[in-house]
Amino acid sequence: MRRAATIKQWQEELERGVRRLQNLHGLMTNPVEPKTGQTPRVEIYKRNKSRLYRYESTRTHRTPVLFVPNLGISRPYIFDLLPGGSFIEHMTNQGFDFYLLDWGVFGPEDNDLSRRGVRDQDPAADGPARCSRRPGPTSFRCWATAWARPSRRAFVASHPEVQVKNFVNMAGPIDFAKVGLFGLWLGKDKFNVDRFVDTLGSVPADMVKAGFKLLKPTMDLSTNLNLWWNMWNDKYLEGFQALNKWANEYVAFPGEFFRQWVRDFYQDNKLYRDELVMGGRPIRLERITCPVFVVGAKEDYIAPPECVRALIDKVGSREKEYIELPGGHISLIAGRGRGRPLLAEGLGLAGPALVGRTLSLTRGVTAA
Amino acid sequence: MADAPGPNQLFEQWRKQFEEGAQAWSRLITQTAAAAPSPTPDPTAFWRPVLDQGVQAWAKLFAQTPATPELLTQWKQFLDQWIEAWSKVLGQAMGTEQFAKLMGQSLDQMLVTTAPAKKVVDQQIEQTLQALNLPSRSQLTAIAKQIVELEDRIDRLEDSISAKLRRLTEREPR
Repeated sequence: MRRAATIKQWQEELERGVRRLQNLHGLMTNPVEPKTGQTPRVEIYKRNKSRLYRYESTRTHRTPVLFVPNLGISRPYIFDLLPGGSFIEHMTNQGFDFYLLDWGVFGPEDNDLSRRGVRDQDPAADGPARCSRRPGPTSFRCWATAWARPSRRAFVASHPEVQVKNFVNMAGPIDFAKVGLFGLWLGKDKFNVDRFVDTLGSVPADMVKAGFKLLKPTMDLSTNLNLWWNMWNDKYLEGFQALNKWANEYVAFPGEFFRQWVRDFYQDNKLYRDELVMGGRPIRLERITCPVFVVGAKEDYIAPPECVRALIDKVGSREKEYIELPGGHISLIAGRGRGRPLLAEGLGLAGPALVGRTLSLTRGVTAA
Repeated sequence: MADAPGPNQLFEQWRKQFEEGAQAWSRLITQTAAAAPSPTPDPTAFWRPVLDQGVQAWAKLFAQTPATPELLTQWKQFLDQWIEAWSKVLGQAMGTEQFAKLMGQSLDQMLVTTAPAKKVVDQQIEQTLQALNLPSRSQLTAIAKQIVELEDRIDRLEDSISAKLRRLTEREPR
């Protein structure tokens, strides 16, 4: 009986092996370009390379979400990777009208773009005001991710006239003294940012890629091992191809922006120390008084949880909550785990309901 | 699958086999030195105890564990742990002040060396393109910058016109 079961198991493994080889042959000889970003959207505003897109929903929530992802580094289609595994699709299915800021791909003509220039070219910087000139909402739930987060928080902190109903910071560094390896490598005594920008003009995409690969040198090895292990699975392969396309498409940084970014955030930690000035306005995080929801990832080596959590202690909000989800920086949104539903649920709550409900969310995660 | 050995057990078996093999080898060497030379030497005799020990250990392992594909899963887990261990070691090494300083110095050195060479190459390319009556990268970049600025001015004009129109509409008697 046991022998028969073992033989059956080996047969299955053999079939998997054959499928692995077939799929590998397909990958090598006929690679298919994955179709990413399929959720329908409308471009509602553009400025230079930046675009503001609207993803319409059935609108069961009155206040829409303004989603501000990272500037440079990578493209934002990670948030709308594949149907069935898309964060944006999930949010629109939950009844949120979703606005996504796409910073675009900066070219050599943008090398002089400073942080202020970027802010001026950010269609979402005065998005609520601009959008209200067109048919659109007058208040937003603001959701900032990755390296746009410090500037987004700074914007929320310095523009009290913009109606932000609640603010979600997802895996965004605040206290750059605890930002991990990047913080160490970009330190004042180790990294000469002026020489770097003056010589290269911008941070080329290949250099951005090298920096991120260096953060976790064994990543490619484990990715390829997992690929081989799961290559028999067509569904896995489809997801892998889409994610791999995104993971290898890096975007250059405008030189001046990078110089200010490294100096003010990584070297001087100005946002956390209340010394940052943007567009002539001093930035004080304590001026953020709307409900704040901060999300960190346990195994995040790009923005470790302790540097993300720091926002909770700095904001002036009475209603604030921190939640730590399992996984890494990207799997928070791109993963098929419980993260997405929990985040959508958390975002749907505002005002007094936020604290109590997110506590239950935290319990949900712990139980998971 | 509860009775299947985990990666640690596999590792333990491997270590045990290695130790027993080493002991057998050392026993053989001691015996060979003490005994009188054999008239017909056997060239495989030297390795046989080691190989026998290995085969016995693996035979024991396979006898204890049915040779199912679970063994492959355990091998994959072992590789995952091995990669993770290396990742931690590298992470610790790269997280030191020395590594950060060394990396910064190397990058700086590269930039110092690259900068003059890049300048010369850029000048040469610029001159060549000029001689061929073709636009250079810097000229195209300058045009792109102008377009960006023009777009920006149009945007500002559009904003100002719509603000004025809105004010006019608000003033109009109903």
